[in-house]
Amino acid sequence: MIKISSNIQSALADETLQGNLRRAFVETLHSRNQAVSEVPNWEELRHYAREVKAHTLSRLPDYLQSLEEKVLEQGGKVIWAETGQEAVQFIVDLSHRREIREVVKGKSMLSEEIHLNESLERAQIKPVETDLGEYVIQLAGEKPSHLVAPALHKSKKEIADLFVQELGMAPTEDVLEITATARKLLRHHFLTARMGITGVNFAVAETGTIVIVENEGNVGLSVSVPEIHIALMGIEKVIPRSRDLAVFLKLLIRSATGQKMTSYVNCLNGPRRSDELDGPQEFYLILIDNGRSKILADDFMRQSLACIRCGACLNVCPVYQTIGGHAYGSTYQGPLGAMLTPLLTSVGEAPEHAFASSLCGACHEVCPVGIPIPQILLKLRERFQSERNQKAASFSLEKLVIQVWARVMCSPILYARLGRWARMLDKVFGKSGMGRLPIPLFSRWRKHRDLPALPPQSFRELYSSITCTKEAP
Amino acid sequence: MSRSAMLHKIRQACAGSDPVELPSEMPDFPHYSDPVEKFRQELERVGGVFLDGRRSEELAGALVLVLKESDSTEIYWEGEELFQRHGISFTLRDPEAFAAGSLLYSFHFRHQVRFPIILNSKPAERSNLARISLSASGARFGIAETGTVVHEVKAGRGRLLSLLPPAHLVFLSERDLLMNQAMLFLSTPPGRGSALTLVTGPSRTSDIERTLVVGVHGPGKLFVILTS
Repeated sequence: MIKISSNIQSALADETLQGNLRRAFVETLHSRNQAVSEVPNWEELRHYAREVKAHTLSRLPDYLQSLEEKVLEQGGKVIWAETGQEAVQFIVDLSHRREIREVVKGKSMLSEEIHLNESLERAQIKPVETDLGEYVIQLAGEKPSHLVAPALHKSKKEIADLFVQELGMAPTEDVLEITATARKLLRHHFLTARMGITGVNFAVAETGTIVIVENEGNVGLSVSVPEIHIALMGIEKVIPRSRDLAVFLKLLIRSATGQKMTSYVNCLNGPRRSDELDGPQEFYLILIDNGRSKILADDFMRQSLACIRCGACLNVCPVYQTIGGHAYGSTYQGPLGAMLTPLLTSVGEAPEHAFASSLCGACHEVCPVGIPIPQILLKLRERFQSERNQKAASFSLEKLVIQVWARVMCSPILYARLGRWARMLDKVFGKSGMGRLPIPLFSRWRKHRDLPALPPQSFRELYSSITCTKEAP
Repeated sequence: MSRSAMLHKIRQACAGSDPVELPSEMPDFPHYSDPVEKFRQELERVGGVFLDGRRSEELAGALVLVLKESDSTEIYWEGEELFQRHGISFTLRDPEAFAAGSLLYSFHFRHQVRFPIILNSKPAERSNLARISLSASGARFGIAETGTVVHEVKAGRGRLLSLLPPAHLVFLSERDLLMNQAMLFLSTPPGRGSALTLVTGPSRTSDIERTLVVGVHGPGKLFVILTS
């Protein structure tokens, strides 16, 4: 079971983390807003993308089969993995068969979700993360804290110290030098690795094209130098047509980094052709379910599968901004993690995720495919509660309080009478006196909140005492 | 896990869902009255260098600048087709030693450029590829909206020549300049070669405190020469 509550206090108390988080979002949000405001028909693009996703998800098997057919035609292979374990097993077996001891990896959240690195290490295969942020995280033995900027929780100084300690870099806090150190070391891995593993941003059903978006060129190298390329893809990533890419790329890139375009967008069609000079000889596309078909079966929750993992909802979320990614304790964090974690596992497995939100709605507003995240979180809370109620004994204090409350709210006479009593109590105990009543639960609630003093007259009393001089229009 | 069992599960999950139509109309993508100017602006905004080589007398000057900026005395060329397509005169130093798929390079002592460009060849081994300081290739398309050049891998070409060196030069023909990405994906369904790469400016990262650093794994310098 993943608990968030126990991590929150330590995240709030960690001053370095708080400083790093404060620095992280202002600029990101600004460039995202700038990039979006330059597109006059942004809402039209969002609407288009939402429709394409809804359509594709309603006919997912057809599109997956057509994608498979195209990939096979181009000389690639398609692996169907119902669980993460099956995907991992395939990669381990293939590496063992080919006597591969090291793989270079592009950034992939799905590979985090299926715990690929841990399994590879157990099988004596060394995974080398090649995205700079991921490389830092791997060196530190941590997990990413943001889907787009995995090392966002780390300061320049922390990273420099890590490089000095782990890689023997000469002490410096110059980001250029830190990056040059990583480039030099990783270049060696690129030139010797025999297998590259990447994620997938989009897969086009009509052409069998795998699309991977990046800035560093590490994905380009991972899919070009090694003799084997393995692409990991959640089944929800397929889109029908090549032309849809134009819309999705625009939405994804501007939302994720505030760029108009990333340095590289790799559109890959299987292994190298015999007359091409380089590229992988073997290409494997692994289609991974790992809980997605369960979400698909739920008409309402299905909307969550439209997510294109841009991370914009993390950047705007007041909860994520305050506690950072690690406090969520799960692969996916922020609003999308609050939504996806209990859906991919179960509400029993991640009971607190849906509650890690103020439901302010910023995530929905910023989402490039318009997923109603707050509504989904509310629904999840409802499900969690009803599961808990079923398990709980027939008597519960909460139930009783709600029943009494409901009774009072339904009866104007009862409501007025209780209001009078409360005002009397207020008079007896002095200003805001009710709050000082020694009721155990109540005083705990009072610790962080003020109970305002009640006015001397209720609205109804006030209203009936006013003589209306003006006639209603 | 069998494919059919997994497909069956997904099919059941989709069963009974309301049919949603695929939108038929593409949203509008921008057009420009001066696409070359827009392309130049966007390329420069992301740190690329734009050079106008549309008049043949400007080409030598542009190449000299690229050699100086990349601190290189050699250019590794993608193939003979590049010269023909962009109207650059060349000659092979030793036509008999030339083998298909080998690396073609020209030597420019003191950054001098003379036409015809004299091409030498060496085997396309990885160790040779890894040492290149400046490579040149032809773009299949350019995209004005974002200052993007599009590389297409096809027969006789590879992926690494434009990715491994610290500096890369792209020749783009003015007639291949498209307004926006929608035009690219509507006109060229990818799939003829094994890769189509959209390149926008030099390789970059902001992973450390959002500080921009260029030239992480791919080229740190990107030059585009526009030809007519």
